[in-house]
Amino acid sequence: MTSFIKRYTEMKKEELRYNLHKASKMKMCYFFLAPYAILFFTFFILPIASSIFFSFTYYNILESPRFIGLQNYINLILQDEVFLTAVKNTFVVAVITGPVGYILSFLFAWFINELPRWIRTVAVVVFYAPSIAGNAFYIFSIIFRGDAYGYLNSFLLQFGLIDAPILWLLNPDYIMPVVIIVILWMSMGTGFLSFVAGLQGVDRSMYEAGYVDGIRNRWQELYYITLPSMKPMLLFGAVMSITTAFNVCDVPRALAGYPSTDYAARTIVTHLFDYGFSRFEMGYASAIATVLFVVMILCNKAIQSILRKVGT
Amino acid sequence: MSMNNLENKSSGYDLESILARRRLEEAQAKAERKKFLLISFLILAVLAAALIVVSVQIGKIEAYNQQVGQGLIEGAIDNDISVYMVIRVAVIAVMIGYALFMLVKLLKPKRRKPNRSFWGDLGIYLLMSIIAVAMAFPLVFSIASSLKPLDELFRFPPKVFPQHITLDNFSDLIVVLGQSWVPFSRYLTNTVFITFVGTFGHVLIASMAAFVLAKYDFPGGKAFFNIVVTALMFSGYVTGIPNYIIMSKLHMIDTYWAVILPAFAAPIGLFLMKQFMEGLPTVLIEAAQIDGASQLRIFWTIVMPNVKPAWLTIIIFSVQNLWNTNASTVIYSESKKTLVYALQQIQAGGIARTGMAAAVTVIVMIVPISIFILSQSQILETMASSGLKE
Repeated sequence: MTSFIKRYTEMKKEELRYNLHKASKMKMCYFFLAPYAILFFTFFILPIASSIFFSFTYYNILESPRFIGLQNYINLILQDEVFLTAVKNTFVVAVITGPVGYILSFLFAWFINELPRWIRTVAVVVFYAPSIAGNAFYIFSIIFRGDAYGYLNSFLLQFGLIDAPILWLLNPDYIMPVVIIVILWMSMGTGFLSFVAGLQGVDRSMYEAGYVDGIRNRWQELYYITLPSMKPMLLFGAVMSITTAFNVCDVPRALAGYPSTDYAARTIVTHLFDYGFSRFEMGYASAIATVLFVVMILCNKAIQSILRKVGT
Repeated sequence: MSMNNLENKSSGYDLESILARRRLEEAQAKAERKKFLLISFLILAVLAAALIVVSVQIGKIEAYNQQVGQGLIEGAIDNDISVYMVIRVAVIAVMIGYALFMLVKLLKPKRRKPNRSFWGDLGIYLLMSIIAVAMAFPLVFSIASSLKPLDELFRFPPKVFPQHITLDNFSDLIVVLGQSWVPFSRYLTNTVFITFVGTFGHVLIASMAAFVLAKYDFPGGKAFFNIVVTALMFSGYVTGIPNYIIMSKLHMIDTYWAVILPAFAAPIGLFLMKQFMEGLPTVLIEAAQIDGASQLRIFWTIVMPNVKPAWLTIIIFSVQNLWNTNASTVIYSESKKTLVYALQQIQAGGIARTGMAAAVTVIVMIVPISIFILSQSQILETMASSGLKE
């Protein structure tokens, strides 16, 4: 046993020595990486590490942080009912807009790929524009306005589907569906572009080979040829979808107000904003952020492992 | 195609019969084209007729509503008009889709790849045109609203397109901005400064890092890149709170650097750059190395000129990101605030500023969208290598 441990440590040492030697030969590489790595560490890694640290403390910026153990997490789960609403809302939005937005962006990209070049160029702009249009989603607050002059209300009243205008953005029953629709409208983002580009890059001769091998329609072609060769883009698109699905914040804040009726449009990120930038309870806000990190990383791991199995 | 040729061989192999068969096929194709053209025009004619009927109906109701509005006739305003308008938009969408389909089929009949059915193609054109109209509607409506005079903005039932196009909303906006406590040009300078410096630094720093990560195998490189990929998921909102604390420790709150420095390290730029650089042939770099070029020189004179699409793309992503920041959580002095922040304050001004709010929306969205339109092909070229390899 001891000899085994000895051999193991020796092996590790050897490995370390080899790596150090290699590293010293490649000093220039570290020199190139350094500026980015330092900034990345300061503004992406350190925040995550420090938010894990602060989540165990009471910290309000003015006083120095005071260690309180798991108290923040206990309060979060046992006392903060609004947080539970926020978690529920975030999951509802994420579970619906994530997969649906992802599948729709792939489907639209695939359909667009069938069009000739000049139509495709226009179509990509039309579909991608909402996601980069800044706060153009404000227009939905007119469409979903609560009085009879809101476009949707007046339209539904016309058809006799409703007999009194619905307060779309104030009634807790309707806020979430409206938010989900708007987010879906904006979900053709970077992942969508990646799909469009990836579909153009699929080797044409594979389709012809597939035709000879007996593939008879476009759906079979999609399943047997296109999807397997699109796998890297599918993985990247999934990361992008998770990002947009969990970081919902602007849309509910702008449409449903902040705070919204009965906290019906409260998401984890708006909750985090509330505690961080309105009440300056940084420790508590950090606990919320940590929960979100953990959920996102786990979700990403799960989805990546599912996607790796597609079409193989 | 190849299978048909084989059949020809077995049935008869003289030139005459092959030519005759080809002539027959051509004639058939011609007849089919004619038939298709005829049916297409019939369909388009039916759609056009529907469009005219609906439009006439809308015109009638509109005239009636106007008279009611002026008190010439007793009665209530007829709101059925909105139903007709939706029908009209749908008909126009279907017409556009069908017309495009017809055009493509007639101009490039041979484009059809294997495994593509006629009806499937038609379905895609119609579906995509309807969805595209629905997707574009809010944006088109925003742009149209910004060109409407005040009376049309509050008109009900609304009209999508302005009757009398005016730029009043934009000139009002300039007047309001001119009266603000901090001159408008200051906000613009702030945003331009942040965008320019942030983008420049980001491109330089991220491509340096991407170059070594893509082209050299050194201890820690792969692990570092994996962390960057994970960081793709963390938007500015989530890191906002701890970043605020870090910024305050670095005494950078209320300076431009609080916005610019995190933008330098945006993970998406490094990610796209690294993936694109991997496609660059390693032979190029090795050849330069043998010729005695230093790593810095290789980076500057060989790699950078060859990844033009990638740096254009990350410039665009960075500009989009920085142009849209309102930075309200880290910048407090009025004289340092960004354009988008100032515009959003005007937008929040309530009903009296509806017109100006529409103008603001257009100004904010027009910059990223027009940049995208101008550089679409470069961006797509970069995105083609964006996949996450296993």
